[in-house]
Amino acid sequence: MKDPYEILGVAKTATPDEIRSAYRKLAKKLHPDLNPGDKSAEEKFKQVAGAYDLLSDTEKRRRFDAGEIDATGAERQHERYYKDYAEAASGRRYQSASSGFDDFAQQDDFLAELLRRREQQARRAPGADRSYELEVDFLDAVNGATRRITLPDGGSLDVTIPSGIEEGQVLRLRGKGAPSRGEGPAGDALVAITIRPHRFFRREGDDIIVELPITISEAVLGGKVKVPTTTGAVMATVPKGSNTGTTLRLKGKGVPKRGGGHGDELVKLKVMVPSEPDPELETFLSGWTPGSSYDPRRDMQS
Amino acid sequence: MIITRTEFLLRTRLDQQTLEVWIEEEWLSPEPADPEPLFSEADLARAGLIRDLQGDLGVNKEGVGVILNLVDQIHSLRWALSNRIGSARTEE
Repeated sequence: MKDPYEILGVAKTATPDEIRSAYRKLAKKLHPDLNPGDKSAEEKFKQVAGAYDLLSDTEKRRRFDAGEIDATGAERQHERYYKDYAEAASGRRYQSASSGFDDFAQQDDFLAELLRRREQQARRAPGADRSYELEVDFLDAVNGATRRITLPDGGSLDVTIPSGIEEGQVLRLRGKGAPSRGEGPAGDALVAITIRPHRFFRREGDDIIVELPITISEAVLGGKVKVPTTTGAVMATVPKGSNTGTTLRLKGKGVPKRGGGHGDELVKLKVMVPSEPDPELETFLSGWTPGSSYDPRRDMQS
Repeated sequence: MIITRTEFLLRTRLDQQTLEVWIEEEWLSPEPADPEPLFSEADLARAGLIRDLQGDLGVNKEGVGVILNLVDQIHSLRWALSNRIGSARTEE
């Protein structure tokens, strides 16, 4: 890098004020955003700014003058300049209205057409999307429902929850986001769904899992029991000799599938002994001798 | 890329009040959104330009508005010109 005094065009004896004013003069001329099409201005500005960074810092200037540091690497690293974004979509909205070209546009059909199209584009640009979160009950997620969200601005939004929706799914409601700045369509509302757990239903894919407590006699003798499903209770048959862990499959009683049809409900039986002591049961069981081949812990013997 | 107000303040090292003045002056116009406006990389770079103008270049408040307006016009012109050139090339 060249000598920083030379870059700024000041004498080695220049005062801080002289250095500052020399820098300002050059910066006004060379700032990249004031010379958007001039690559060499950007290069020069980097050098000038770097020289100024060095000489405007009393300590750095002293060390440079004493020969302790050189000017290497003093070029200022700038984050990207505005000009690099001005013509990107996000910067384009700062561009001035086309009325600035009226005089040219009248003589140049192409330019007139270009401006007309751009104005139309700006007018028709859609509004921004807005994000919401909605927590729904387990059964509403399985069966579908309509829920109303109250918006921060006091308005409300009716959300139709399709049956079988899953945790984390995002519903897109067309046109329910922010309005367009011009005449374009409104943005979309994006509603992220979370599902409250249920007291006894669980979901695994398209299947509903429920644990059903049964009595000892229902387990041993079998029988009809009432089983809750997500669409109401149904009667199911517990086969004779069922056990804790025996699973009944209720076909089509699960979650509606997206392509049609339903999953199943899996009923896991759980044999319950009465929690209060039952003298009758005790008497009965003391008179019961299991067969000699019956040992529930047989598998555990080594 | 979308930048929140908090992130924008952090990255530009601006204080809240200055940012409000800049938006009020229409030097910056972030995308309106709920609950607070959203900024872009262009807004970030534009804030850098404003800071350079007010700091290093010693431009006063009125001057910043004038310069930004002219800079915006230059970019519109550059955009129109590059489109015109682009179409002239395709016609060839």
